[in-house]
Amino acid sequence: MTVLTQGGIGLTATPETVLFIVFGVLALGSALAVIMLRNVVHAALMLVVNLLAIAGLFLGLQSAFLSIIQVLVYGGAIMVLFLFVIMLLGVNRDDLLVTDRSTRILAFAGAAVLSAAILFTFIGPYTSAASICGPEAAAPTAVTDVRCYGLEQAYDRTDGAGAAFLGGTLFTRYTYAFELSAVLLTVATIGAVLLARRRDRDASDDDIDDIAETLPSDDTQEV
Amino acid sequence: MPIGYYFILSGLLFSVGLLGVMIRRNAIVLFMCVELMLNAVNVTLAAAARMWMGPDGQVFVFFVIVVAAAEVVVGLALIVNLYFRRGTLDIDIPSLLRR
Repeated sequence: MTVLTQGGIGLTATPETVLFIVFGVLALGSALAVIMLRNVVHAALMLVVNLLAIAGLFLGLQSAFLSIIQVLVYGGAIMVLFLFVIMLLGVNRDDLLVTDRSTRILAFAGAAVLSAAILFTFIGPYTSAASICGPEAAAPTAVTDVRCYGLEQAYDRTDGAGAAFLGGTLFTRYTYAFELSAVLLTVATIGAVLLARRRDRDASDDDIDDIAETLPSDDTQEV
Repeated sequence: MPIGYYFILSGLLFSVGLLGVMIRRNAIVLFMCVELMLNAVNVTLAAAARMWMGPDGQVFVFFVIVVAAAEVVVGLALIVNLYFRRGTLDIDIPSLLRR
């Protein structure tokens, strides 16, 4: 931490900084591992690490409820679905990475350009001490004193970020969106059941009747 | 901790996810890279919610997670269907339109 402070980056050794650096490095490294590992199961397990690291970042952002949701829904339900489908379809090592060299070079160049654009967009206005963000930027009272709200100042707010804080808004202002998401989940479940059903010949009704004919009937057993 | 570092991390995560979509050919891994990008956007939204000190960004993250869950369910069902129909998960084989 002191190295970063002396380096002039402007980070001080608060717990949030430590949390951000640890989980940020973990998230970036595991994300790179997801796209680099050739084995699909290894990539899926690295994605679990990435999702848990992002849950840690949510904790650093004082969003405890989101962190719990992230672990439960992403790290639990969605990853179980991914691993289930991978195990169902089998792991094939051959068709994993693009082998065309020019395509890969173009992809890396494009991603580098995008990263550079994002870095240059954010490093200037949002990370310096005199950056313009925060509630004062929307309604600037004094033009000279528009500073970025650090997250340490945000800790001093009395309102929390737990389930009550989130639910109070979710069930008042966003009630219709909440109910629409319930409809969306129902439709998605029904659609997945319809899509994943295999229309094989041995699953039709006629074959079930054939199987029933081969079984001993109830009448013969009673007599 | 300035908010911009969260934005930078989120942008890098998004770029990594986009790179994965471009260089991978397996449909399941492609799907996982889409999840990476969704999570990067979630970090941005949560950081912005922290910066503006309101609940709206967190509510939006909640909805993104819900929609991602629905998307994964339908998408994986489609992938299973595609695998049983074509016998491969390679998305670069353009045999679907050629027949």
